[in-house]
Parts: sequence; C-alpha cells; structure tokens
Amino acid sequence: MAINAQIALTVFMGVLLIAVIAWLTRIEDWRSYSASAGGVVSQGERSEYIEQEKPAGIVRWLTTVDHKDIGILYGAYGLFAFAVGGLMVAAMRIELATPNTTFIEPAVYNSLLTSHGITMLFLFGTPIIAAFANYLVPLIIGADDMAFPRINAIAFWLLPPSAIMIWAGFFAQPLGLGFGPAQTAWTMYTPLSAGVGNDPAGGAGIDLMLLGLHLSGVAATMGAINFIATIFTQRDENVSWANLDIFSWTILTQSGLILFAFPLLGSALLMLLADRNFGTTFFLTDGGNMLWQHLFWFFGHPEVYILVLPMMGIVSYVLPRFAGRKLFGFKFVVYSTLAIGVLSFGVWAHHMFATGMDPRLRASFMAVSLAIAIPSAVKTFNWITTLWNGRLRLTTPMLFCIGFVSNFIIGGVTGVFLASIPVDLVLHDTYYVVGHFHYIVMGAIAFAGFAGIYYWFPLVTRRMYQATLGKAHFALSFIGTNITFFAMILLGYGGMPRRYATYLPQFFTLNAIATVGAMILLVGQIIFVWNLVTSWLGGKRIESGDPWNLKEDGVHTVEWQWLDRRIETALTDGGDEEPIADGGEVRTDGGTESDDN
Amino acid sequence: MSTQTEDGHDDHGHHLPAVEDWPRGFGEASWWPFVTAIGGAGIYIGMALWILQDVVGTPLIGVGVAVGAIGLFLTGIYGWLYHAFITKFWSREITSAGPVSLRWGMIAFLGSELATFGAIFTYYFYYRAGTEWALPDAVPIESLTGSLIIVNTLILIASSFTLHWAHHAIRHNDRKSFVRGMGLTVLLGVVFLGGQALEYYEFIGHYGFTYAEGVYGSAFFGLTGLHGLHVAMGVVILSIVFVRAVYGQYSAERHLSVSTASMYWHFVDLVWVFLVVVLYVGAAL
Repeated sequence: MAINAQIALTVFMGVLLIAVIAWLTRIEDWRSYSASAGGVVSQGERSEYIEQEKPAGIVRWLTTVDHKDIGILYGAYGLFAFAVGGLMVAAMRIELATPNTTFIEPAVYNSLLTSHGITMLFLFGTPIIAAFANYLVPLIIGADDMAFPRINAIAFWLLPPSAIMIWAGFFAQPLGLGFGPAQTAWTMYTPLSAGVGNDPAGGAGIDLMLLGLHLSGVAATMGAINFIATIFTQRDENVSWANLDIFSWTILTQSGLILFAFPLLGSALLMLLADRNFGTTFFLTDGGNMLWQHLFWFFGHPEVYILVLPMMGIVSYVLPRFAGRKLFGFKFVVYSTLAIGVLSFGVWAHHMFATGMDPRLRASFMAVSLAIAIPSAVKTFNWITTLWNGRLRLTTPMLFCIGFVSNFIIGGVTGVFLASIPVDLVLHDTYYVVGHFHYIVMGAIAFAGFAGIYYWFPLVTRRMYQATLGKAHFALSFIGTNITFFAMILLGYGGMPRRYATYLPQFFTLNAIATVGAMILLVGQIIFVWNLVTSWLGGKRIESGDPWNLKEDGVHTVEWQWLDRRIETALTDGGDEEPIADGGEVRTDGGTESDDN
Repeated sequence: MSTQTEDGHDDHGHHLPAVEDWPRGFGEASWWPFVTAIGGAGIYIGMALWILQDVVGTPLIGVGVAVGAIGLFLTGIYGWLYHAFITKFWSREITSAGPVSLRWGMIAFLGSELATFGAIFTYYFYYRAGTEWALPDAVPIESLTGSLIIVNTLILIASSFTLHWAHHAIRHNDRKSFVRGMGLTVLLGVVFLGGQALEYYEFIGHYGFTYAEGVYGSAFFGLTGLHGLHVAMGVVILSIVFVRAVYGQYSAERHLSVSTASMYWHFVDLVWVFLVVVLYVGAAL
C-alpha cells in the first residue's frame, strides 16, 4: 500500500512536470502574449519589432534578459512548486484523516512534511515574489530594466537545478538508488540532520537537499542584490524616495533582509554538509544543537518577513485601487515596513523558548517579539482605514486582499500569544503553532499572491480571467483556509503534538475537519489553475490599458499607463509615433504632479 | 504612492540590455546567463555526484562533472563580460546610472559576504567565549603567531596598498604605474595563497592538525578555507582587470571595474586582519 502510494506520487509528479513543460512550450509560441512584451502583433504574424528584440520559440525563454519574461518564468516556476507542495500536503492530510497509518508510511509522511515546507518557502514563496518584483518594479519605478539584466537571468536559471536536487530523494527511492528524501523537517535540526549513526533521516537525500538549498539561496541573494541596485539607482528622475511606491519599498526592505539572512543560512548549510561528509565538528560537539538552532532561526525568522513583507506591499498597492482611495497613512506603512525589517533580526530565539536557553535572553527576545506586533498592527489598521468610507468594488483581487487582512489578523493575534514565554511553553510543538503560521503563509502570503496574480493578469496576458471562477477560487480558499487552520489551532489547545504521521483517537474529529478543509482548498486551487490556463489561452481580450476602471477613481497607476501606451502603440501600427493617450488621462513625459501625502 | 510616480520614460528610448550578444541580432537575448547558470549549478551537481559515489560507482564522475561545470561557468562569465563590458569598451556611453548601480551591486554583495563569514565566526565565538575552551593537543600554538603568518599578513596588507596605488595611477592616466600596480597586486595575492598552502601543509603534514581536530580545527579550516576561497576569487577578478589593463583598457574616466574589484579586495583584506586577530592571536589568549 505504502509503496504503491509512493510510486503513485512519483508518477504523479512526473506527469505534472511534463504537463508544465508542455504548457511552457505552448506559451512561448503564443502570439497574443508577445504583444505586451514587445509591441505590435497583427493577426497571426509576428511584427518585425519583436523579431529584433527576441528570438522565436523556446530559445527566447532560455536566452531572455528581459525583466518581464524573467518575471513570467519565475511565476511559472513558483506556481509549479506551489502545485507540487500542495499535492504533497494533500497526501499528508489524507493520511491524517484517520489516527492510524492507512495511506502512506510514517517515513514517507516525514519526507513529505520536510519537502512541503521547503518547497513552499524556498521554491514557491521566494520565487513568486521575485516574479511580481521582476515584472513590476522596473515598470513602476520607470527603469529600462533591472540594474543587471544578465544576473537576473542567471539567478532564475539556478533555481530549476536547485529544485531537482531538493526533490532528488523522491526520484531516487523508487529507482532503488539507496537513498531517500530527507526526513528532517524544514528546520533540519541537528543531530538528526547531522548524519550520526546510520543516518536514518534520508542519507544522501539530505546532502542533496542541502546543496539544492544553498544553490537556491545563492539565486535569492543575487536577486536581492539586483533589486537593491535597481531601486537605488535605476529610478526615473520623477521617482524620488518621497514618492516611491509601497510595493518597491517592501521589495527593497525584503532584499535587505535576504542580503543578510540567506548567506548566513548558506554558510550554516555548508557547515552541516561538511559535518556530514568530511568529519568536521561544527554541530557535533556539546552545544552544537543549540548553535544550529540559533543560526537557523537567525535566518528563519527574517525569512518569514522576507515572504510576508512584499505580499503586504501587494495588498497595500492593490487594496486602495478597489477602495477608490489612496492608501491611508502611506508614510506609516513605509515606516512600519522598515521597522519590521529591522526588528525581524532580533526575534529569532522565540522559536527556541523551550530549549532551556538562558532565561534573561529569553525575556529580551519575548520583548522584541511582542514589539514587532506594533508595526504589524499599524499596517492592519491602515488597511482597514483605507477601506473605511471607500467605494469598495469586490473584484477577485479585492476579495483576496480583504481575505488577506482577515486571515492576517487571526494569524497575527495567535502569534502574539506564542511570543509570550509562558503561553509558548504550553503550546510549543503543538498544532497551535502549525495553525498560527499557516494562517500567515497560506491565509495571508498565498492570498496576497492570488490577489496580485488576478490583479495583474490583464497586464501580463492582455486578457481577463473568468470572474466567476475567480470568485469561486476565493470562496473555496477562504473557507478551506479557515476550516483547516482553525481546526489546527483547536487541536493545539487540545495538546496534539505536531510533525507525527499518527495521533491519538481523541483528536480524530478535528483532524477529519482539517482534512475536509484541505480538500476544499485543493478543489479551489484546481479551479485556480484551470482559470489561469484557459483564460491565458482564450480569455476575453482587454480593450484598453485600464481594465479595472481605475481612472474613474483617480487611482490609475504607472504600470497600467505603460500598458495603455503599449496598446496605443500597437494600434498606431509600427510604433513610430509617440502614442496619444486616450481621454487625456495619461500624462506624458515629465508631467509629474506629486501630491505627496 | 504610486499614482504620484508618473513615469517619465518612453518606450522608444528604451535601452536594450543585450544589443551586442550571442545570439546575434536581438536586443533582449543572451545565452551567457543560461550557460553561466548551468555551469554554476553543475558545480553543485558535481558535488552531489561526489557525495553519491557509492551510487554512481566512482568519485571521479563527480569530480569530472564539477571540473567541467567550472569550465562552463568560466566560459559563461567570459562571454558575459566580453559582450557586456569589453566590446565597445571605449565607445560605450558612460551613463551616470551605470557605474553607480555597479557600485551599489558590489556594496550589497559585500553586505551579503558579512553574513557568509558571520556564520562561521559566530560558530567560533560561540565556543571561544564558553568556559570550556581548550585547544586540541595537535595545535602548534607557537606557529599560530609564527613568522609565516606574520609575513603572509604583511603581504596581503601590502597588496591592498599596491592596488590602491594602481587605482590612483589610472585616475591620473598614469597607465604604466597602473599596469605595474595591478600586476604586483595579483602577484602578492598569489604569493599569499602560496603561503596559505604552505601553512596548511605544515599544520596537516607536520603537526597532524586537521579540520577533524575538534572545534578549533573546524573553525580554523572553515574560516581560513572560506577566506582562501575568497582570495582565490579575488585573484581571478584582479587578473581579469590586469589582463584588460595590459590590453590597453581603462582610463581616468573609465575605471569602474577597477573600483569594484578594489572594493572587493580591500574587503577580503579587512576580513583577514580581523581573522588573524581573533582566530590566530586570539585562540590561545
């Protein structure tokens, strides 16, 4: 049974891989897309303009140094990883529907647990943010491209090999290569991960995972350097620090966090790798386990903000568009972003309250962890105030933004309790923690990602998604998220420990509910993928550069003006002339009216 | 807010990043990033295959893949540098944004390097500050502050001065001193690496002090190894600048890569001074 499940999973992943490759080869030849990327497309024919900028076919995607194309590549990669990580957790939830082992063996469960976390954080979360940032930041700040277009491309192409190495164990085991996927959980705590004894946690699979993670960290760092240089130096003359948009601010802060968090993890990973293979004793002597946790969480906690800050940026950017207002307290949203960025390096040991560390240190970490709730609350109140008295339009992206705020409040408040040492000592290592952080990573981070994908879908594809499917996706995601993760919070109060493949019978009801919630989520995501693919291939074409009617409310932004010009250029044929903005709404070069708030 | 950030650029004046490149004739296409990335990832795959030597049968496969990948990686870097910076070196327009962005790129990279070194320094301090600190018997305590290490440190510090001298010279269009200074710096870097190799040879060969020798062994070889790797990379970077200088590039107006390479080299030099103080001198205090 368990072997069959393993083979089934492997085959399923393989099929998925082939499907995505097939899909990718289709979009490279897909005519209407190139319109927004390169200029003119008339029926069935590529214009000369495109031929000059980019080669045709798959070569275009392999050689591209265009930030928009690289953004799309990041997006496809991130969504593929999201699907893989989602299917992994679907298998885990099916297993957890009953108290005993039924569907997959505990060892497989452990591997899926490890890979689900790593996939979602490193292969989905970071790349999907890079997708938005690559596509949008240069457009919004008025840059020609990223500061280093080629480094941008290198950083992306390092990611597929890193994913292959991280997942290698899943392919190796059915092939009988003598090692399996890592079973260390994403935290990779020593001594379990250090390979002492006969290395029961995955053998060489751990080594490959460490190498893959290091590679993905190198890629993330290169991207961060690129974004910092881009935002510092490539801004248009009209874009000053005072009127830099909120999304670029969050990307800048996030890049700063990556710059110090990822390389530190990288060194720690290599130290662990050396311990496993060369007989060094970085983490094998007394105190080594604590040291690993310190180093890991010094990276790990900023990583949370690396993922959430840009997503907060997306919400801060998109939510006011459908409230018909400017973002309330813009400056304070920026300040709170910077405050979170700084504080995030001072809270890591709240993951280690139960390790027996020095109580004085513990108290100071508790203080900083509680303090970080303040800038987070500032943001939340600003979003709510932006909605207040606004002219709300409940489009799909708006629904996801509101869902983000709602879920973030639950995720945040449960987090404040965890930051308190006495509460943490009770709830540590229970499902309460799992529920808390999934409210953030699924309920908030993924929701903001969906909001961004729906909002900018017309910008990238020049087509509209299917609104009904979008709303169904939202409803299922919101209900599914709250059922699944609220059940987990209750399970945590009941004392159910996390990370196990089996559990005591008294936890059955809530676990069954959580599994039902997860299945609702799964159905929602299938609808999402279906909507995305069919709309991209055959959705309704948008007529103007303002598919959201933002001009009406005076909240039209630069990336849509850019699209406006693209469409105009296409209509005036050849693009020799400066496009004429329709309705006189789009101001041409230099016409800045900076009413700074 | 973004509604206020009107963009002032029009797409007709769009600068294409890869006009002169392979494949030819496109403005937004280059094979070099792909080649470089496959080479870079190949190094990791080579390491993975080396670890999997029981599965693939021989460690040679991993080593072979890694060496091939390094070749591919360097080829990619060469093509990239060649097309992005070297062709049209003199005719390329110098925009104010270009140099500034490369400087910021280097500053950000050095920031990330702080974290890279920081992890291993943290490891060392974590144990060094503990009450049970003791050096393993095999450590040659006198040699830690012996003549070899002193001379080597002086060589590396001197190389920073020669580099600065070279940089100063090109700013005044003194090409001869510039080329000499660069050559001397590369030479000093190589001598330093030789000194490190000699030190490793003595410690491992004569004293039996290896990286498996407890906490200090791991910290010592981890830190000096990581630093040595950075010096080696610095020698490569400076050699590229040197070769380009020999071929007549750079002038008082165009010396950007001299600046960025200098920033890197001075940083590596500073790390070494800190490293000597805490790891060599500070080990037995």
